[in-house]
Amino acid sequence: MSGGIRHLPILMITLPMVGAALMPFISYVRRGAVPWASALFLAASSALGLALIGKIPPDGSVGYRLGGWEPPFGIELMVDFTGYFLMMVVCGISLLSLVYSRPYIMREVEGGKITAYYVLFLLLSASMMGFVVTGDIFNLFVFMEILSISSYALVAVTGNRNAVRAAFKYLLMGAPSSIMVLLGIGLLYSVTGTLNMADLAMRIGESGYREVLIAAYAVLVLAFMVKAAIFPLHLWLPDAHSIAPSPMSAMLSGLVVAVSAFAIGRITFSVFTTRPWGLVSSTLEALAAAGAAAVLFGGIMAIYQRDFKMMIAYSTVSHMGYIVLGLTALNPEGLTGAVYHVLDHGVAKACLFLCAGNFIYRKGIRRIDQLKGAWQEMPWTCFAFALAAWSVIGLPPSAGFISKWYLVYGNVKADRVPYAVVLLLGSILAAVYCFRVIYYMFFQPGEEGAWGDKVADAPSGMLAPTWILSLATLFFGVFSYLFIDSLLKAAASLL
Amino acid sequence: MPEGATRSVVPLLPVLLPWISLVAILLMPKKAPRVRLWLCFAGSALTFLVVILMLPGVLDGKTYYFKLASIVEGLEISLYVDTLGYYFALVLAFMWMLATLYSISYIDHKHNRFFAFLALCCSFLIGCAFSRNMFTYFIFYEMMTFGSYPLIIHEETTMARRAGYKYLVYAIAAGTVLFFAIIANYFWGGGVLDFERWGLLSLETASRAALLTIFFTYIAGFGVKAAIMPLHGWVPDAHPAAPSPASALLSGVILKAGAFGIMRVIFNLFGVDLMKELGVHWIVAVFACITIVMASVFALTQDNLKRRLAYSSIGQVSYIILGLTMVSRDGALGGVMHLAHHALMKACLFLCAGVILVKTGKKNISEMRGIGYRLPVTMICFSVCALAMMGTPPSVGFISKWLLGSGSMQAGLPVYVVILLVSSLLNAAYFLPIIYTAFFRWEGDEEGAHHPKLDFSTENDQLMMGPVVLLALLVVVVGIWVTVPGFPYSLASRVVDFIFP
Amino acid sequence: MNLWHNYHYAVAMVLFCVGLYTVIMRRNIIKKIIGLNIMETSVFLFLISIGYRKGGVAPIHAEGLDPSRMVNPLPQSLILTGIVVAVSVTALALSMVILLYRQFGTLDVSRLFREETEEAD
Repeated sequence: MSGGIRHLPILMITLPMVGAALMPFISYVRRGAVPWASALFLAASSALGLALIGKIPPDGSVGYRLGGWEPPFGIELMVDFTGYFLMMVVCGISLLSLVYSRPYIMREVEGGKITAYYVLFLLLSASMMGFVVTGDIFNLFVFMEILSISSYALVAVTGNRNAVRAAFKYLLMGAPSSIMVLLGIGLLYSVTGTLNMADLAMRIGESGYREVLIAAYAVLVLAFMVKAAIFPLHLWLPDAHSIAPSPMSAMLSGLVVAVSAFAIGRITFSVFTTRPWGLVSSTLEALAAAGAAAVLFGGIMAIYQRDFKMMIAYSTVSHMGYIVLGLTALNPEGLTGAVYHVLDHGVAKACLFLCAGNFIYRKGIRRIDQLKGAWQEMPWTCFAFALAAWSVIGLPPSAGFISKWYLVYGNVKADRVPYAVVLLLGSILAAVYCFRVIYYMFFQPGEEGAWGDKVADAPSGMLAPTWILSLATLFFGVFSYLFIDSLLKAAASLL
Repeated sequence: MPEGATRSVVPLLPVLLPWISLVAILLMPKKAPRVRLWLCFAGSALTFLVVILMLPGVLDGKTYYFKLASIVEGLEISLYVDTLGYYFALVLAFMWMLATLYSISYIDHKHNRFFAFLALCCSFLIGCAFSRNMFTYFIFYEMMTFGSYPLIIHEETTMARRAGYKYLVYAIAAGTVLFFAIIANYFWGGGVLDFERWGLLSLETASRAALLTIFFTYIAGFGVKAAIMPLHGWVPDAHPAAPSPASALLSGVILKAGAFGIMRVIFNLFGVDLMKELGVHWIVAVFACITIVMASVFALTQDNLKRRLAYSSIGQVSYIILGLTMVSRDGALGGVMHLAHHALMKACLFLCAGVILVKTGKKNISEMRGIGYRLPVTMICFSVCALAMMGTPPSVGFISKWLLGSGSMQAGLPVYVVILLVSSLLNAAYFLPIIYTAFFRWEGDEEGAHHPKLDFSTENDQLMMGPVVLLALLVVVVGIWVTVPGFPYSLASRVVDFIFP
Repeated sequence: MNLWHNYHYAVAMVLFCVGLYTVIMRRNIIKKIIGLNIMETSVFLFLISIGYRKGGVAPIHAEGLDPSRMVNPLPQSLILTGIVVAVSVTALALSMVILLYRQFGTLDVSRLFREETEEAD
């Protein structure tokens, strides 16, 4: 990769950041232009990302030195295929949620804060993109902090008392975990003297401070477990995700936690590389057990929820367990499953939250039993929901099926049949909570007058992103062969 | 690309053609109901036509192959027409055409939903029949499973909802078990799941315990659809709840998708030899025997006609399973042929039950006194099929039973003959009273009143009567001219020739 | 290398635990935020002591200074970034505390949560 193209990844990250900085000025000139301008910045980012298609080798990575400083001192972006793939996922889903926000956010947020919402939104997307491709572990921390702070603020953006409380709960769990990440980085630095991931990977093998390394790894994993809301550290998630404005829930649930879960993979495969002394095996085993518990616990809790968004949030808890089980299988198939699950979980979960947003926008409905007969009134939303739910359950031919296939296969291959069974049980639970909603929507007659006068479906500005996402679940299932081969290669090279 | 196969788009056509109905429904959801329904029928008729046109090629020994997508090496979504798959596709396309025709007149509300899902299921089932590997089969199978849910709960009564719920519970559990089986098979089968060999797995590539796990998870997964006891729970609820054409398809084809899956597992993935070596065939056979007898006993106690027929289906599908697990040439032949034979008979019986329901509103057998005089054609067709079910010659039922009996002698296990005879007896015990009530009892017969006059006027609905009569005729005709090309024997014998050369 | 020589590490760890204890056990949310800051400070102390060198000088290149006597500048720059992050988190947290106090009239976590369960019913 040469010429101007090699600057594209960093441009993808900086564009939304520049956009975030410009938004207050644009708002000063003309407030109505803010949503469009921010969408433009993200769209430009996505376009740059599309220009990179085929340029990133599946079995290797492209380094980019910020400011031309040599790696051990300067900050390096390490764009490997997995990172690029996730960057595109982040870009795409963020763009759609952003477009969706325009009509929705007018309702929920006072006028003055709309600009703030978009600024934070752009910062969040930019930091997530940086988060997945950075090759410097301290840079990882910085991006994670931008990501976390903008998430806290976005949960609370409506200023409503429950929202602030949920955001504060999120902060109370998130901030200590951030500090623990810093502690972990400090521990690593103290025994290796470097912050570059590739360099770290090399020096960890040579370093003699075994206990310190084990502690560093455990601290990092524990910290990211909080960020990724992996059972039993998920306590902040259901409140925060269900109370945030729906496009924000889509971002938080679809991307933020999944990307944080992926960070565990980054630490494991790019830094600790799983080889020396079986450094990480006991932590990984504990992590896998937590993941399995998350799959079951999240699924069961989701079944008992009465609040629609709460149910989707618990489903996220369950799906984070899937990703962890894939990562800890330590084989290319499991890792591919996990990465592909970040994609299909992101797309499907974002779609579910946007559907929930449509109901809230039109009818203020939050409870599942209020959805009876919704099909008659809002058919487009309901069909989009059904398609996305299909993928959440993991039924063929949706994207969820493909990732489930690789997750289960990876676990069987790693000789972890019990975990494979847990994954399957998880999808049974998913079927239960999804079909319950589908049943209410499509096969239950609505109560007389429950829907009042004829309610129109959501405006097309909201329906379009919802439908693009729900069709994407099918697209990435049917056309998974476009990605799986490269992902498998990338995963094999990571291991 | 399978050996000797022709790369051709032909297998894709029958999968896509049913979508004509869907397009018709989507394009004109409210206008011109008759035109729309006839377009739906045209979709299924065209599908059948295309399948029929493939017959000469298939009888010539040709196989067709079409790749939809390849996910990674060895794991691809592709269509492949071999004799066995073609045989199933032929049966189901024919049944589907008749059921669609029948539904035009039968379904009286929410046409769009019913016909849309009817078409979808048809498409997915043909996809099942033409799957090249278990991966593709599973994809289509699961879509078909959930696509048939709206058919079952179509009436939207409390009973239908409950049946639908039960169906979903069974389907989801079975799908999960199956998913595990396929992954295990993929892992221990060397990363391939293809159907084109007669025995993919072997003891060299996988341990005995692994093979046993795979085999029984497969059987459990497909056994739910094939209603092997004790996995049959959803069947007796779903059939009476669903509209009659849907129950005809449920019994005639969808249950068979499970049996067909077991065929693929036994013939293509494991191979008869490996199954024998593992010594698992008799375990399945025992379950099949239990199902055959118990289902008939349960059927005896049912008063609801469709429920009785549903129990009968449970028993009959286990004939197929029993035939497959006999490990003898005639047994396999009988099993494979019974797939089509039973579809003909049971579909006709359910369609008759539908006619009775529409014309007289009667569901229970005890209310059907003298119904043979009010609906003579229907009840004659019903009687023909019921007699065929008992194995009376000349009929398809007789052929199946004959072959199965001969198969058990070949396998050296005459005990199966006893089971078959007991089952025939029980069949007689639950079918004959229906015929007796219909023709030899009437209102006031105990007081010596003369039987009522035959009344042909009520059966004026050709759309419903056509399929019923055609099926009843075929039950006899196929049972007499067994070897006509295109009839089950011509295809099934080719399949069995591969397995027992 | 024994504990005595590395007492700064021990102090950092003790501070970290004190901070964590405060965050988890204290019911007053402002105290929780103070605990957060103690945790942060402990990590900063830890990082800065990694780069410390006895008798070292500030890492500014000038004539007549021996680079080998300079302290490691990297941890210092990390801490600068860390402090910026810590300040912004604290600012955000405090602004949330103000909002919470206005709306709930309490700073006690258990009362905040109790109300939550009441509202759910």
